[in-house]
Amino acid sequence: MSDKKRLLIVDDDPDFAGAIRSILETAGYETQVVYNPKDGWQALKKNTYDLLLLDIMMGRGAEGVMMARKIRKDRVLREMPVLIITGLREQIAFLFPGQAIHPGFVPVDELVEKPVEPEFLLERVAALIAAAEERKAES
Amino acid sequence: MEVSRKILIIDDEEVVLDSCTQILKGEPHEIAVARDGSRGLELVEEFRPDLVFVDLKMPGISGFEVLEKIEEIDPTIVTVVITGYATVSSAVDAMKSGAYDFLPKPFTPDEFRLVTRRGLEKRALVLETMTLRREKEMLRENFAAIVSHEMKSPLSAVQQNLYAMGLALDDALSAEQRERLERMQTRIRDLLQVVDTWLRCVSVDVDAIRDRFAPVAVNAPIARAVESVEPQAVRKNIEVRTLISEPAAVVLGDEGTLAEALTNVLGNAVKYSYEGSKVTVAAERHEGVVDIAVTDTGIGISEEDRAHILDDFYRAAGTGEGGVGIGLAICRRIVEAHDGSMSVESDLGKGSTITITLPTIEVDNVTDHEPKKKAPAKKGPA
Repeated sequence: MSDKKRLLIVDDDPDFAGAIRSILETAGYETQVVYNPKDGWQALKKNTYDLLLLDIMMGRGAEGVMMARKIRKDRVLREMPVLIITGLREQIAFLFPGQAIHPGFVPVDELVEKPVEPEFLLERVAALIAAAEERKAES
Repeated sequence: MEVSRKILIIDDEEVVLDSCTQILKGEPHEIAVARDGSRGLELVEEFRPDLVFVDLKMPGISGFEVLEKIEEIDPTIVTVVITGYATVSSAVDAMKSGAYDFLPKPFTPDEFRLVTRRGLEKRALVLETMTLRREKEMLRENFAAIVSHEMKSPLSAVQQNLYAMGLALDDALSAEQRERLERMQTRIRDLLQVVDTWLRCVSVDVDAIRDRFAPVAVNAPIARAVESVEPQAVRKNIEVRTLISEPAAVVLGDEGTLAEALTNVLGNAVKYSYEGSKVTVAAERHEGVVDIAVTDTGIGISEEDRAHILDDFYRAAGTGEGGVGIGLAICRRIVEAHDGSMSVESDLGKGSTITITLPTIEVDNVTDHEPKKKAPAKKGPA
């Protein structure tokens, strides 16, 4: 077994998810891609991941938000960092009227906009994983 | 099949109410009657008629007053006046109060049926227009959502793949191939920005812009716009000149959206100019207003097109340029939100001038927003 970090990507656009996966794998991460929140939830229950990359607008609406909320309620999963990759800030603003752009789905999440430049994506992924490990070491 | 409509007849003469009801018997409509104006108005609220006949001469409140009240309650209700003294002037007065038609007493059943049919046809048209207007408004409101989903998603996927390819092929690409890949990324990024601009502007909420209004010296948004179009201008070897009369006029507005509007106009000027030509932005103060004129020496705009280029989605035929023709319409919306106006002058084949006129405000020594020391920018601020 390598000590590669394992990431889960949940996005209903296979082309987009494929590109994200390619960038992350080039950078040495191990990735798994699923195309809907249901498969995503199953994967989360079966395996352990160092980070979740989550799309918001999936299926019939903001199904990604539902998934993020479910994760926040789960005692084990809430420890996992979540990076939200979404198509449109406005959609977030629309979903959470009156709230800041960054609505804080889960305590350790972060939001980036599609498309995301590789350097920025890799930097955020590394930072979130590092922060999560630090928290784990502290507790 | 004839649609069932609701007809209300307001007349103090029992015989008129009876005969009208009789005449319309056998038609699919619902009829209600009232013997005076106040009862009639009650029924307008309760019964919600499509068509109302109103006798002009009644005891109590007059027919004219009834017409006015109906107009207040629901201006889409079609009204027809019944008048015993069918003088032209009373009919004209009634029409002025919003009546659609008039029916002189005494009338034959056929006359009554004819006027009823015309009135109901009018009502159908009114309702249809209302539906269309509502649909148009919904389309406008949903436009942002449609554009974001249908255009941004695929563009994002393409861009993300270009990024991924660039990274994966880092060592394999020649300098020329790398440059081509970067050009692709740049073009997609520009396109995504265009979509973002539309999104912001189409869903532009005039009141929301107004909330952000502050004194803005016009040189600031002009400089930002010039900076935005610089890359396209350089590519076509076009010189963009800025002429701002000192001191720069100050308007009450939102710098960001003003810059957006100017970028659109300036971008068009560059787009439709010949290579190696000049585009000039001139801001000139006049009594209470500032004219910001963007002049190009490009292909010009035909008289026919000039009338429409400020409309949504209008694109002049045969320009060979891409786009869906929304840029100038967005500008107009932004400019109008600033209580300004836009005008177009053009010589076909020689060039055009698009002028944005904005009301200025007097600012005595208020320099907190844009220091006057700052020279009229030739280039944008960093």
